[in-house]
Amino acid sequence: MLNKLKKTTLLVLGFLAIVSCTKEIDELRPINQATADEVFDDPASYKSFLAKIYAGIALSGQQGPAGNPDIAGLDEGFSNYLRLYWYLTELTTDEAIIGWNDGTIKDLHYQNWTAGNEFISTMYARIFYQTSLCNEFIRQTTDEKLNERGVEASLQADIQIFRAEARFMRALSFYHALDFFRNVPFTTENDPVGAFLPTQTNAQDLFNYVESELLAIEGDLVDAGQNEYARADKAAAWMLLAKLYLNAGIYVGTDRYTDARIQSEKVINSNQYSLEGNYEHLFLADNDQSNEIIFPIAFDGLFTQAYGGMTFMVHAPVGGSMSAAAFGINGGWAGVRTTSAFVEKFPGMENSDDGRELFYTTGQSLQINNVSAFNNGYAIAKYKNVDRNGNAGSDPTGDFPDTDFPMFRLADAYLMYAEANLRGGGGSLTTAVGYINLLRERAYGNASANITSGELTLNFIIDERARELYWECHRRTDLVRFNQFTENGVWPWKGNVPGGTTTSSFRNLFPIPTSDLSANPNLQQNPGY
Amino acid sequence: MKTFLNSLLLLSLLFPSILMSQTSVSGVITEGSSGLPVPGVNVIIKGTSTGTTTDFDGRYTITVNTGDVLVFSYVGYRTQEIAYTNQTSLNISLAEDAAALDEVVVIGYGTTTIKDATGSLDKIDSESFNKGAIVSPENLLAGKSAGVRITSSSGAPGSGAEIRIRNGGSLSANNSPLIVVDGVPLSGGSINAINPNEIESYTILKDASATAIYGSRATAGVVIITTKKGRTNAPLQVEYDLQVSAGQIIDKVDVLSADQFRQFIIDNGGDENLLGNSRTDWQDQIYETAEGGIHNLTVSKGFENSSIRVNYNLANQNGVLMTSQYRRNALNLNYEHRLFKDHLRVNVTSKGSLVDNRFADEGAIGSALFFDPTQAVEGNYGGYFEFEDEDGVRNLAPRNPVSLLMLRDNRQRAKRNISNLQLDYKFHFLPELRFNVNAGFDYEEYDGRYFTNPSAGFNNLNSGQFPSEGTYFGTNKNRLLDLYFNYKKDLNSAVTRVDITAGHTYQRFYNLGESRDLNTGTGNFDEVVPPSPFQLILESYFGRAEFTLANKYIFTGTYRRDITSRFSPDNRNGNFPSAAFAWLASDEDFLKDSQTLSNLKMRFSWGITGQQAIGGSFPYLGVYSQSNIQAQYQFGNQFFPTIRPEGYNENIKWEEATMYNVGLDYGLFGNKVTGTIDLYHRKNKDLLQFAPVPAGSNLENFLDQNVGETVSRGIELGLNFSPVRNDNFRWDVNANFTLSDVEITKLNLVDAPGSIGTPTGPGLSGGVGNLIQINTVGFEPNAFYVFKQVYDANGQPLENVYVDLNGDNIINDNDKYRYQSPTPDAFFGFTSYMNYKNLDFSFTLRGSLGNYMYNNFKSANGYGQAILNQVGNQHYGNGSTDVLNTGFMENQQFSDLYVEDASFMKLDNISLGYNIPFEKIKFRASLTAQNVFVITEYSGLDPEIASGVDNNVYPRPRTFVLGLNFIF
Repeated sequence: MLNKLKKTTLLVLGFLAIVSCTKEIDELRPINQATADEVFDDPASYKSFLAKIYAGIALSGQQGPAGNPDIAGLDEGFSNYLRLYWYLTELTTDEAIIGWNDGTIKDLHYQNWTAGNEFISTMYARIFYQTSLCNEFIRQTTDEKLNERGVEASLQADIQIFRAEARFMRALSFYHALDFFRNVPFTTENDPVGAFLPTQTNAQDLFNYVESELLAIEGDLVDAGQNEYARADKAAAWMLLAKLYLNAGIYVGTDRYTDARIQSEKVINSNQYSLEGNYEHLFLADNDQSNEIIFPIAFDGLFTQAYGGMTFMVHAPVGGSMSAAAFGINGGWAGVRTTSAFVEKFPGMENSDDGRELFYTTGQSLQINNVSAFNNGYAIAKYKNVDRNGNAGSDPTGDFPDTDFPMFRLADAYLMYAEANLRGGGGSLTTAVGYINLLRERAYGNASANITSGELTLNFIIDERARELYWECHRRTDLVRFNQFTENGVWPWKGNVPGGTTTSSFRNLFPIPTSDLSANPNLQQNPGY
Repeated sequence: MKTFLNSLLLLSLLFPSILMSQTSVSGVITEGSSGLPVPGVNVIIKGTSTGTTTDFDGRYTITVNTGDVLVFSYVGYRTQEIAYTNQTSLNISLAEDAAALDEVVVIGYGTTTIKDATGSLDKIDSESFNKGAIVSPENLLAGKSAGVRITSSSGAPGSGAEIRIRNGGSLSANNSPLIVVDGVPLSGGSINAINPNEIESYTILKDASATAIYGSRATAGVVIITTKKGRTNAPLQVEYDLQVSAGQIIDKVDVLSADQFRQFIIDNGGDENLLGNSRTDWQDQIYETAEGGIHNLTVSKGFENSSIRVNYNLANQNGVLMTSQYRRNALNLNYEHRLFKDHLRVNVTSKGSLVDNRFADEGAIGSALFFDPTQAVEGNYGGYFEFEDEDGVRNLAPRNPVSLLMLRDNRQRAKRNISNLQLDYKFHFLPELRFNVNAGFDYEEYDGRYFTNPSAGFNNLNSGQFPSEGTYFGTNKNRLLDLYFNYKKDLNSAVTRVDITAGHTYQRFYNLGESRDLNTGTGNFDEVVPPSPFQLILESYFGRAEFTLANKYIFTGTYRRDITSRFSPDNRNGNFPSAAFAWLASDEDFLKDSQTLSNLKMRFSWGITGQQAIGGSFPYLGVYSQSNIQAQYQFGNQFFPTIRPEGYNENIKWEEATMYNVGLDYGLFGNKVTGTIDLYHRKNKDLLQFAPVPAGSNLENFLDQNVGETVSRGIELGLNFSPVRNDNFRWDVNANFTLSDVEITKLNLVDAPGSIGTPTGPGLSGGVGNLIQINTVGFEPNAFYVFKQVYDANGQPLENVYVDLNGDNIINDNDKYRYQSPTPDAFFGFTSYMNYKNLDFSFTLRGSLGNYMYNNFKSANGYGQAILNQVGNQHYGNGSTDVLNTGFMENQQFSDLYVEDASFMKLDNISLGYNIPFEKIKFRASLTAQNVFVITEYSGLDPEIASGVDNNVYPRPRTFVLGLNFIF
């Protein structure tokens, strides 16, 4: 009897255990991690999500400076959007060369990259990470969802602006995709998240999409200069449209110079921006105070820390006999210098009267015999983590700068206006020359180097853009537009020879990374690769 | 008449025995080789349940009838059957059984015998374990079983080892086997909380027939650890075991001496003024002799219905790298109680440990290789030299290796308890039916702290900064409840035996680790985002049915259904079946009487196992992660924390492996020679991989997903041989040999011919994020992906000259090729044990063939610029002497020059022991040397590094051990 009882008890206990734990599996939820439905219970989440979209091009992940990356496949310090964007737009040109041995990094300057190049493939991954992030924001903020969650009217009004900014940020990244790759997988908020194979778009469709998005959100964006610092406004959209139109001939074979001129003009005529008095102040720790910057990528020594972005841009060009303290940092990374071809853009080279010439030459040679040796090639002292009074930034360790990246600034609008005008986009040549001379006067401190309308030629423009905007991620696009990037144009170590050589024109586009070709059979490789 | 008389006489002689049928017989049972009495031997009258066991002096008394057959059995010895023919006493000398076919083997949710096992499994008893001062349990097994590779992770004290059973067929998912300790599957990670001294045996389950009952965690094989337990009716026994050890590094890495270094700088136009005046061998400065002591005190006693065993262990091990230290205090307890005439057995096992580690900064190992040998050890920063400039310590210069060790203090304490309660009930009305409950838990808490000396150069403090300091802590929990029924009965029909098991198991895991670092700017500990713990619940139903026909044909089928919280409700159920057949050929009539072939069994098995160990807790669920304080973004004048939607894969499911196995077990000459031969073929499909997702389709660029396939094959040979075996001298040899390979047959969702594959492996030194290995369809996993070096007529490598493999006249990434891999083509183990009277001598040799290694120290430090061109150009760094051989000036790290054949043979241990059986005390002394020598062509320190990338690994010391053992 006793045994029967025992047996029954055990069986019942066993049965209970079985029943209870099946239910436990169904009810197991993450701890300290909210699902979409839970996270938006907090109304502050919408702005936090928007902040993530902006942080997506500044930071490498959810843990500053590193530790919880957004994307995988490359060291977190390298996988930062801005750092990769700088690599692809500057290291591939005469403006910059790097001495490190990190993977295929030197192939960028040698212009012999392959479809397996990890810097190209990670830039590609970053771009689509960013567009996916924006898609998700747009999906999560439809009127339907907001009403369902009972979001109050005033916040709903703010969220309409957030949505316009998310669409701007998505257009910005799709613009980068257009500029670098053209024929890319294309997804919007109407696609799901999960296992499907995006279809490949083409340059024309992508161009049209970026254009239509920017035009569509213009009304929803905050007026030029009126948004909170570091958030996009109408002027940021105009700048991006101006760039899209200025390069339209390259992208889709149709010139849109008039549109480029009109968009530049809108920026200039908004009267919200003025040239910074001292060129060098644009690149210092307190450049958030500058009225010239239209759209920055914001960094902070204490609260916005990453090993890419401005940390890279301030540390990597410092080496040799340069004093790290003068840059407001704890030490240089001794990587990036420039080529003699760029030095020669300045009359008088390292002794130029042009105040934008910021070469550091002590102990450095002009010529580069050894790419790996930092002292081969002039250094450039442009970005610094000190303010205009020489005080170091907020991070006492000297690792992370306060300096913001000037993504769009007024000088670029002036130069685009002038170029569009020269290329037949209308407007006034006199006005164009006037804008250029504003830049020249700032550079020289006087009118001595001002130009006449006769001197304003396309050749002048491409060189002036280099002098004004070097190391600001414009050079590759400019050289492609002037057909100087591959089959024309020679600078040291282009083509992996010391004196430089031309390369094949298919390299005006980057390859679709092998990793995505393997993952997505809908994709075709770009020609030449 | 005569016949009648004879018959009568015979009858009268027999009469007493027939009439006085109930007599009692007694005797002493001794161990054959030593002559010592053996307590606890089972003495049973065959065909009955009547029996007894021997006492402490090996004596027994049993009541018998004439004609009864007495069965004497004891684990590890040949069972003897002797008919009772009125002997007054029956003294038995037990002979050790070279291949104890009746030996019980623990398998998943039950036991079997070697003879009846249908799967491929290997039992390794404590007496076959590797000898020496072994702290980590995995190292007991190295070289002992075919198909099993054990690679210790480093020479650091207390460091574990990587176990691979039949290689790993998975790419990014876990390739380590499931480890089950006394029925409790562990959650992975370190098993060095388990005292090796307390391990009774290992069972290694290799084929799917054996592993499939563990379902979704069994693809990489299963290791079952059974710890020692007390015996009933055993006298009080106290055992003290001591092992004292001293270890030293065997060799140093070849770097330039101070004089060579100075000459190199001068010859290459360097600035001699930047050099110091010392001659420092930095490797001598950081390594020391490592002492260690392992104490084990064990008390055991058996009562009529219960037994108890208690063990206390103190293991103290210093590392050869200064300041590294490991200490384990462990208490093991086992108590067994039998109730209701053995119908209910209650077993309680508890393993508690307190492990204290002091971690040396292993960065000192690399730093010692490239730190300028002309500089002195002593200097201005906490007493140590550092390179400095006008701003203080030079930022990106290497740090003084000795200061890294002496001025940093990083300690961790881990408390862990693995306990379980097992109830085994034989039903009173049906004793063939058992009900077994196993409830257990594995709980661990750890807490670590590190401090640095404020004056240390590596702190590199600006004014107003605080030296680095931090703490890290965490909890790992795992609880378990198993229930199963087992019905086992011998029958007198065509089916001679049935053995059926059915049950349910539930296991829940929880792991949480956190850290807090001092903000070197503010001096406060930064607020952290509350971390998300790892959680997992696994629930399963399992069954096994075994039918034996005519005592010769054994059919086994197993089935497991797993339900996991890791996958979405649509994918969370997985079914894992297996089937096996074994034929005991030697029991067939035509072989039964063979003099040579004493045992022959053939095994055939098929089964499907799963793999789910990848990534986080909820890979199928979209969640949002918070940013920390340092990852905010500025809007206006305010910083906003961000939230990130995480990528997810709703379709993620089990990886599945289908394995076929054909095996042969044989015994020759009365089982003097026994062995096994196994052939297997395994296909892993729907590989769980952290792999690229199509751009734009998800919220991450890499996700855990089911893509790819691998095929693994192998041949495994095991051989046990006793060349000599007599009363005074015994020699046992165990040898095993494995041929195996793994090939990736699919890597992407769709076949992408020409795809280079997925770069993989550890990051190299010599360039951030550089990878030297690649996974490609048609090749082994982790193949080295390199340029083909060109050599001149004298065989000298030409710098930066590589073969243009694709013939496009450009040398770029497209010219790399796949050259070998770290996985060996073959490996073997050889153990010899000799015993002459009281003296014993044993050694273990182990080797590996066709495993390649990338010498990352040479590739990153064996060229001129690595020495001459340092950040800031105000100091130099030492390099490999390889620079003198190659003459390379620039980094050539992707050259196949640095991929070397690392085939090796190692004498893992050699041991000499002496036993003295005193009247009251058994005493044993032994001398052991571990890691004695290695024969290899590989040019680095040690050819055995699991990842295949040799980059400043903590060297494995050569250790000498004195062991003393007392049994009272």
